[in-house]
Amino acid sequence: MGDIILTMKGIDKSFPGVHALDHVDLEVRKGEVLALMGENGAGKSTLMKVLTGIYKKDEGTITYEGKEIEFENPRAAQAAGVVIVHQELNMLSHLTVAQNIFIGREIMNGQIINDEKMNEESVKLFQKLGIEIDPKEKMGNLTVGKQQMCEIAKAISHDAKVIIFDEPSAALTEAEIEELFKIIRDLRDKGMGIVYISHRMDEIKVITDRVTVMRDGTYVGTLITKDCTKDDIINMMVGRVIYEDPKTQSAVAKDAPVVLKVEHLNAGKMVRDVSFELHKGEILGFSGLMGAGRTETARALFGADPKEGGDIYINGEKVTINTPMDAVNHGIGYLSEDRKRYGIVVGKSVAENTTMATLKEFMSGLFINKKKEDEVAWKYVESLKTKTPTVDTEVVNLSGGNQQKVVIAKWLTRNCDILIFDEPTRGIDVGAKSEIYTLMNELVAQGKSIIMISSEMTEVLRMSDRIVVMCEGRKTGEIDIAEATQENIMQLATQRN
Amino acid sequence: MKKKVLSALLSVAMVATLLVGCGGSSAPAAESAPAEEAAPAEEAAAEEAPAAAEGGFHFELVSKGFQHQFWQAVLQGAQEKADELGDTMNFVGPNSESDIADQVQMFNNAINANPDAIGLAALDTSALLDAISAAQAAGIPIVGFDSGVPDAPEGAVLANAATNNYNAGILAAEETFKLIEDKLEAGAVIGVLSQDAVSQSVGDRGLGFIDKMAELVSGKGLTVDVTGNEKFVNETKATVTAGGDVTIDVKVPAQVTAELSQTDCLNLLNTPGIICVYGSNEHSAVAIVSANETVGTVGKDVVGIGFDAGATLKGAVRDGVLAGAVTQAPFAMGAATVELLHKAAMGESIADVDTGCTWYTADNMDEPAIAVNLYD
Amino acid sequence: MTDKEKKGGLSNNPIVKKIGGQRLVVIFVIVALFAFFCAKSPTFRQYSTILNLLDTSYYVTYMAIGVTFALITGGNDLSVGTGMVCYSLIGGYVVTKLGLPIGVGILLTVLCGVLMGILNGFLVAVMELPAFIATLCTMMIARGMGSICTKSQSINWPQASSAQGWFRSLFKITVGETKYPLGFLWVIILVIVMSIILTKTKPGRYIIAIGSNKEATRLSGVNVIKWHMLAYIICGFFTGLAGLAYGATFQTVAPGTGAGLELDAICAAIIGGTSMTGGSGSIIGTLLGVFIMSLLKTGLPFIGLQANWQQIITGIVLLVAVLIDVIRSKQAKRA
Repeated sequence: MGDIILTMKGIDKSFPGVHALDHVDLEVRKGEVLALMGENGAGKSTLMKVLTGIYKKDEGTITYEGKEIEFENPRAAQAAGVVIVHQELNMLSHLTVAQNIFIGREIMNGQIINDEKMNEESVKLFQKLGIEIDPKEKMGNLTVGKQQMCEIAKAISHDAKVIIFDEPSAALTEAEIEELFKIIRDLRDKGMGIVYISHRMDEIKVITDRVTVMRDGTYVGTLITKDCTKDDIINMMVGRVIYEDPKTQSAVAKDAPVVLKVEHLNAGKMVRDVSFELHKGEILGFSGLMGAGRTETARALFGADPKEGGDIYINGEKVTINTPMDAVNHGIGYLSEDRKRYGIVVGKSVAENTTMATLKEFMSGLFINKKKEDEVAWKYVESLKTKTPTVDTEVVNLSGGNQQKVVIAKWLTRNCDILIFDEPTRGIDVGAKSEIYTLMNELVAQGKSIIMISSEMTEVLRMSDRIVVMCEGRKTGEIDIAEATQENIMQLATQRN
Repeated sequence: MKKKVLSALLSVAMVATLLVGCGGSSAPAAESAPAEEAAPAEEAAAEEAPAAAEGGFHFELVSKGFQHQFWQAVLQGAQEKADELGDTMNFVGPNSESDIADQVQMFNNAINANPDAIGLAALDTSALLDAISAAQAAGIPIVGFDSGVPDAPEGAVLANAATNNYNAGILAAEETFKLIEDKLEAGAVIGVLSQDAVSQSVGDRGLGFIDKMAELVSGKGLTVDVTGNEKFVNETKATVTAGGDVTIDVKVPAQVTAELSQTDCLNLLNTPGIICVYGSNEHSAVAIVSANETVGTVGKDVVGIGFDAGATLKGAVRDGVLAGAVTQAPFAMGAATVELLHKAAMGESIADVDTGCTWYTADNMDEPAIAVNLYD
Repeated sequence: MTDKEKKGGLSNNPIVKKIGGQRLVVIFVIVALFAFFCAKSPTFRQYSTILNLLDTSYYVTYMAIGVTFALITGGNDLSVGTGMVCYSLIGGYVVTKLGLPIGVGILLTVLCGVLMGILNGFLVAVMELPAFIATLCTMMIARGMGSICTKSQSINWPQASSAQGWFRSLFKITVGETKYPLGFLWVIILVIVMSIILTKTKPGRYIIAIGSNKEATRLSGVNVIKWHMLAYIICGFFTGLAGLAYGATFQTVAPGTGAGLELDAICAAIIGGTSMTGGSGSIIGTLLGVFIMSLLKTGLPFIGLQANWQQIITGIVLLVAVLIDVIRSKQAKRA
């Protein structure tokens, strides 16, 4: 490990309503791999965006190669040798590998682009990385892994001194990860400073030299990787004060009837052989890190995405669900994590949104029976305590919590007995949150059953009767609420093959 | 240019008053331009109004557009007649002959202007039926011109000032026959180019030509076959012998584009035995001229016959590429239309007027009586 | 480029390289159609027919080359059809009605195209309007403007026999008794030049990059607005050339027409392998696409097919071409 190349000190950044970074420190040395870890929303990505000039910091200093600097934009950072290899690849699939690497700084021969020279230079870069990719191949024809290698090649061709990998392994196969690690070690040995953002505990142990942990926008601490255990890191990641009382005991009798049984559900890479049961009146929490496959499981179950296999039983009876319409007809409602995109039509009124899934019942001949529609909408506004001046108010004017209630009303009009809540309180303020929680408890008390996908540990612990934990598309465990702790959930959530 | 773009934008916004003053700043105010025409005409009429005791009527004329210069001559004839009678008129037309909806809009606007009578050359009668009833309800008399208002409801149109297109086709056949009589023999092919198989006027000109030509050829003791477009084959009144001595081949393009008509003509010119090509309107006749620039046989081995006028056709007739052409009398048509409108506004009873047509060749096209109908 | 073709002896020849893959299918279709029409119609297999086929294809070719650039950026240009007629009307108007020299008419025709290209480029690249909407509007503007500038009269470009008729020889030259399709030479030259620009120079590279992933291109430090706009200016320039070719070929230009011709051009580009979703396309492919369209338009009437059937067949060909595009982009996504 060499000298310090990059120091971020006291970095503070606020967005309206959120204190995203609270005086965070970070230190990168030449010839080391530094892991940057934290739960979802801990502020890792924000910190890197501040570093590379995508966001402006409110306070703090960045010292790079001994000079205090502030990059104007990613391009300036790049020019200085600080580059990010993004999780979502910035590639031009129609151009060749070499053309991608040199985009914006083509090697010219007069007015004509010298593609041959660019190909040669690319081969040299790949040789440096010890990989073999045909520079003349179209980028779009490469595997995701190879594309990532090209991104890295592009990064080092900028003469990079600090390379940030943002969850690079998320879409890679085991073999590709091996290759990636080899390259990262190579780069490290050549004296570059590497920041490695990942959730994968095992990788952290294998590839990194030090671990910096962040939590809730604050700097928690830095450990030497080889001197610490996985548990040490997990404790640092989740070690916050729990301000919501977790449920201590399941409210559901052990012999409550099973309303939904899913067996060996498979759908793409993100849903692999998932099986679980949902009891009547139960809130079944789905926990896991971002990209664990929870939403994908719900979407496959709901018929929104194609399934490759698996059986679904409702009240003991085997059913076929190929489209959302099938799911709704079987009494399953899905409240999307992305309300604005899938849940509500913001430009329409509360009443229109409420009856959207059941419009047939509100028709008088060819026309919509507005009176009946309003009556039903009012009924749900009152029962769910939705704060809206009238049912004709456009949903866009409501707060997030109240929008969520409109979505719930929509599914209740369909008499859905099984409700899937995907991140039910995302983007909702604390007060509204507890209202949604109360509502969910009322719903299960009425005999409905809920699957709740949540990335908030406290929410999972407070609401669930039982918790299913997923990691990389697989169910890694199931914990009764009585035994659940943040630590054992996090263990399962990071348990890889 | 920027100014023009701006003014064009404005003009597009004023769809209804499409031709109201615009980018004209750069171009001299041409006498025949409809844009400039309307305004001065009204002024002129206002000045003359006291003099013409029975005058002072206002007419709306809805034409098929100004795409073909034919309409400029109609406009001119109408304008001169209106000035003479002390009436005012507003002459409009859609951008192209396929803009049926635009014409309906224009006709509705014409009714809303509450004129004393409306002149109409319908693109599509069925699309105009509602508007025609509205005009009837408002008590505004309608006079048809050019192709008139085919299949109009009984009593909707008081009279038509129009060329009898079937007769015009006959005239073309008679004059053509004189030129090809010697070449008629078994295996001869006579080509007919028709812009479309829908428009009544173009259809009649084709059928008049085909029927008369078949009759004249039969008179020489030869049998006749009509081939090509289904409409013409089915509707001709001629005695048809399959595989007859002389073939009349009718071509209609899939779309009204210069390219397809030119291809059709070339197809005819390449047909063995071709002795004559007849283009039944300006569009088709121009196609003969441009196809000939590739083949070069028209005016030599093949007799080319046109219809209507325009700079290209006139030049081709003068150069001898086209042996001759039939022209309608657009100037007379415009005048006759306004005369009918005037009488209708006075409450007089009126009857159809055949505004006639003329055969012109390089020899007679400069005679004043003919030249007045040969618009550029 | 598949491995099979790479092994071919001609693989070092850049033109053959460019042709590869799907374009070979297109070439095969052209040859097959041509052979079919020749076999079916004696009047088709004549020099004058070929001459006419080329003659009537110039204006579509220029429009199609232009629109290929717009398509590659992931956009479109619907204004090329009415635009072409509009520029031809304006150019012809100043020559025949205002009596200006033919050279002025030619320059003005092309200039109008370039100006419209700037307008389209401004709307799409700077104002970020969807290309479909922006050019739909300018399509209508062009249509109205042509009528206004010529006072709604049809325009006759100078006759071949007149003193100013020489410009028409640029497209079809008569040597002795024989006429030669000189315009085809310009088409070939421009196709080669534009191919090089598209594949071998920065403007072309960035236009493809924008169509592939505009944001990634921007993050790579490329001035995307400039190059995006350039694509539309190139398109406008070629539409201006198309206006010239149209005036020279058909002589009479009627205002209010031209709507629908842009579809021929877009169709030709897509048959030639330009993706409707942007990011890929080739000028040679577009030229081949034009050939297919022109062959169909010329050949179908020659085999005595009724007008309605001609449209059906042309429609089917278009459909197949678009289907190939859709399947191709689906495969690309899967890869």
